[in-house]
Amino acid sequence: MAAEGLRFPSRILTISKNAFREAVRDRILYNLILFVLLITASAVFLGELSAGQEARVIVNLGLSSTLIFGAFISIFVGVSLVWKEIEKRTVYSIFSKPVGRGEFIVGKYLGLCGTLFVNVAVMGVGVSLALLYVGGGSLVLQIWPAVALIFLELTILTAVAIMFSSFSTPALSALLTFFIFVIGHFSSSLRDLAQEMGSATARVVFDAIYYILPNLSHFSFITESSNGMTPPPAMIGGSLLYALIYDVILLTITVVIFNRRNFK
Amino acid sequence: MKNGSTISKSVLPALILIAGFAAITWLSGFIERNRPPLPEGYGDTDLRMNGSRLKGFALGTEGLIADWYFMRSLQYIGGKIENSKSETINIDDLSDLNLRLLYPLLNNATDLDPHFIGAYTYGALILPAVDKEKAIELTTKGIARNPDSWRLYQHLGYIYWKLHRYDKATETYQKGSEIAGAQPFMKLMAASMQADGGSRDTARSIYQQMLDSSDDEQIRSTAVGRLAELKWFDERDAVDKELAAFKERNGHCAAALSEIWPELSRVRLPAINEFTVDKANRLVDPTGAPYLLDRDNCRVTLDREHTGLPRPTN
Repeated sequence: MAAEGLRFPSRILTISKNAFREAVRDRILYNLILFVLLITASAVFLGELSAGQEARVIVNLGLSSTLIFGAFISIFVGVSLVWKEIEKRTVYSIFSKPVGRGEFIVGKYLGLCGTLFVNVAVMGVGVSLALLYVGGGSLVLQIWPAVALIFLELTILTAVAIMFSSFSTPALSALLTFFIFVIGHFSSSLRDLAQEMGSATARVVFDAIYYILPNLSHFSFITESSNGMTPPPAMIGGSLLYALIYDVILLTITVVIFNRRNFK
Repeated sequence: MKNGSTISKSVLPALILIAGFAAITWLSGFIERNRPPLPEGYGDTDLRMNGSRLKGFALGTEGLIADWYFMRSLQYIGGKIENSKSETINIDDLSDLNLRLLYPLLNNATDLDPHFIGAYTYGALILPAVDKEKAIELTTKGIARNPDSWRLYQHLGYIYWKLHRYDKATETYQKGSEIAGAQPFMKLMAASMQADGGSRDTARSIYQQMLDSSDDEQIRSTAVGRLAELKWFDERDAVDKELAAFKERNGHCAAALSEIWPELSRVRLPAINEFTVDKANRLVDPTGAPYLLDRDNCRVTLDREHTGLPRPTN
């Protein structure tokens, strides 16, 4: 890593480029082959099964797969990104150069986000082509805001995975990140449940969970886009800001924890 | 030694794989054949999940699960028809098929995706033959969640029309016609329902719109069958009238339908329809099967063995 002499943003960029190359070398993007097979099979066979609803089924299947595949990449690659460097002791040679721990974390994070961006974009193109094949061209433009929201959700999940991996083992980090993914999708349901319970303590606890944990349902727009709906600009803007702020919070926590780790 | 090594390295594993997969293939069939039969009505086991409760716990994939419930409802009907012991299926009354899960499946699909117009449409067109009140319930739920969809009003109007509740049908078509983007025929339908809800012309308009607007092959074939049936009713009335006139003129019934052909060729059928003859110049029904003459009653009848028309419903 030729980070010596580079300025702060360039060092982060160098680390992120390496993280991206590493993900590609680890054949992370091979999941796209599975995705293409899934979408192609759906486009060919769904006409028989869905009674004229193949376009919406392709959107639901394609975008749900994009989310699930992306979540698995975020979780399993995210938790091993930092851990691998520590385990292989390559982290020592990195930190022997003028690279800050914060820059290292942010660089790794952006590298994985880049991988996810490519992954999600290629999957979006795959869904668009499948839609054109089944004559659902009117939905091609409608799916892209939902694709963008999925990417934003994955950036949060990646930040969560990296945060856990900064102080825990990969297995436990993966488990905890998966819990956050699940809870993040029904935190508002938990809150509604607490309102029905009538207990003040339960309400406080669930309200705290609702506000502290990421509310990933803000990024769910797959079902709506399969019905030809487009999110209003305020929703997209709000979600973008929410994801950015959450990413910054999580990366800050990660950097603080990582700075305190002793690698000797 | 070299040959022995080649065998152990490549031929033996290949043989093990081939023999293994062959054994697995045979065993799969063997296990299936020896599995105890499922209890009667297993396919109708009540749904374990309620769509409205499942919502929020699907990790953002509610639409996909809704699609799954919808496709399951299609397979459910297909399976029931396939396993039916009855030779004919009355598409106006499917109660013999015991389709009690159709509503819960469609209800779950639409709870998970409240904007799933395809599921509401399918329910509106098929559920009346199973449970009329549930059909109204599902379509009304669709309208409440999609107040801008005039198509759902069209479907609800259709259900009321099928139930001969012409006042409700008029009101529904009228409301639907007031929605922005509604097709002009909604207004016409409201007027037709009020003036002559039970007429063939009204029925013809309804089935023609169904045929023009649906992508579902099952719904389209139902509409085609119904339009053909309406044409048969019109032709039957015209032929019977000419047969009666012939009998009055000659004192006996015509020996063959060809004897009244000159009179029939002058008849103007409703909806710019015309009589059809086959290559042998025989008068045929809308599905191409030659009509039969019932000389005892001096009436035209269908050749039930060859016609593609649905069983009579009125």
